[in-house]
Amino acid sequence: MNDKLEQELKKALRRTDPPAGFAERVLARAAKEEQAKLAREKRRFQWFGMSGLRLGVTCALCLIVAASGMIYQHERHQQGEQAKEQLMLALRITSSKLEIANQGIRQINSPEQRPE
Amino acid sequence: MKRIATIVALLLATQMMAFAQDWDPGGVLKKLSARAANAVDVNLDQSMLQFAGGFLDPKDPQQAKAKKIIAGLKGIYVHNYEFDKAGDYTPQDVDAIRAQVQGPDWSKVVNVRSKTDGENVTVYFKKEGNEFKGLVVIATEPTELTFVNIVGPIRPEDLAELGGQFGIPKVQVDQNSSKKGNDK
Repeated sequence: MNDKLEQELKKALRRTDPPAGFAERVLARAAKEEQAKLAREKRRFQWFGMSGLRLGVTCALCLIVAASGMIYQHERHQQGEQAKEQLMLALRITSSKLEIANQGIRQINSPEQRPE
Repeated sequence: MKRIATIVALLLATQMMAFAQDWDPGGVLKKLSARAANAVDVNLDQSMLQFAGGFLDPKDPQQAKAKKIIAGLKGIYVHNYEFDKAGDYTPQDVDAIRAQVQGPDWSKVVNVRSKTDGENVTVYFKKEGNEFKGLVVIATEPTELTFVNIVGPIRPEDLAELGGQFGIPKVQVDQNSSKKGNDK
């Protein structure tokens, strides 16, 4: 029994030569995997690089637009306040002159002025 | 067809803008402004009135009143000139402006003189049908001239609101010079 087991073990563990081209196939597969790994790394770097550039440009544009908007709003507010001041000045001047006219009308209509 | 309609619309818009513009016959206002020691020229057309009206504070009583007055107006043009001495402007300068309010649509309604400083104030209304469409005030003093041209519908209650408001004190009037709508 032991002899039979021993013979089978020897047969199973007997050194055999690899099939033809085995080494070349293994080396080729290893090289292929290495290239794929390099390609993945390259793509990852490129993706990050381009995205970073686009992100920077987009942020810069957003900042410019936001700043322009704020400046425009500030200027518009200033112009509006100036227009309002001009309007109030015009009304004050008009009011002063009309008050003189109103006084004249009141004087005409006052009992002292009406003929008996 | 579309082009013709566009041209007609532009022409109409130009005419409407011209109606709402201030007058400066012969450039007399520019000359007076250049000659004056102090000059105030306020020119607010309809778009500027609307723009300015958007910044009026409704919580401020005077500004709220102003907003009510300018609603619907097409323009407010005020020119106030102060001179160093009497004679720096001529009656012909004033006549050039008065000539603008001599048409059949215009009526002189008030002409008064102030007792305190000899200021003469004349008020003209422009009437179309039953509506007042314009107001002109011409005030002359020896060293000061004021022209006010308000274009657009004026309501009598607005005038009552205007007179004596906006921080202007009451003034004494020379009783002998007050007359009402006699001559143009």
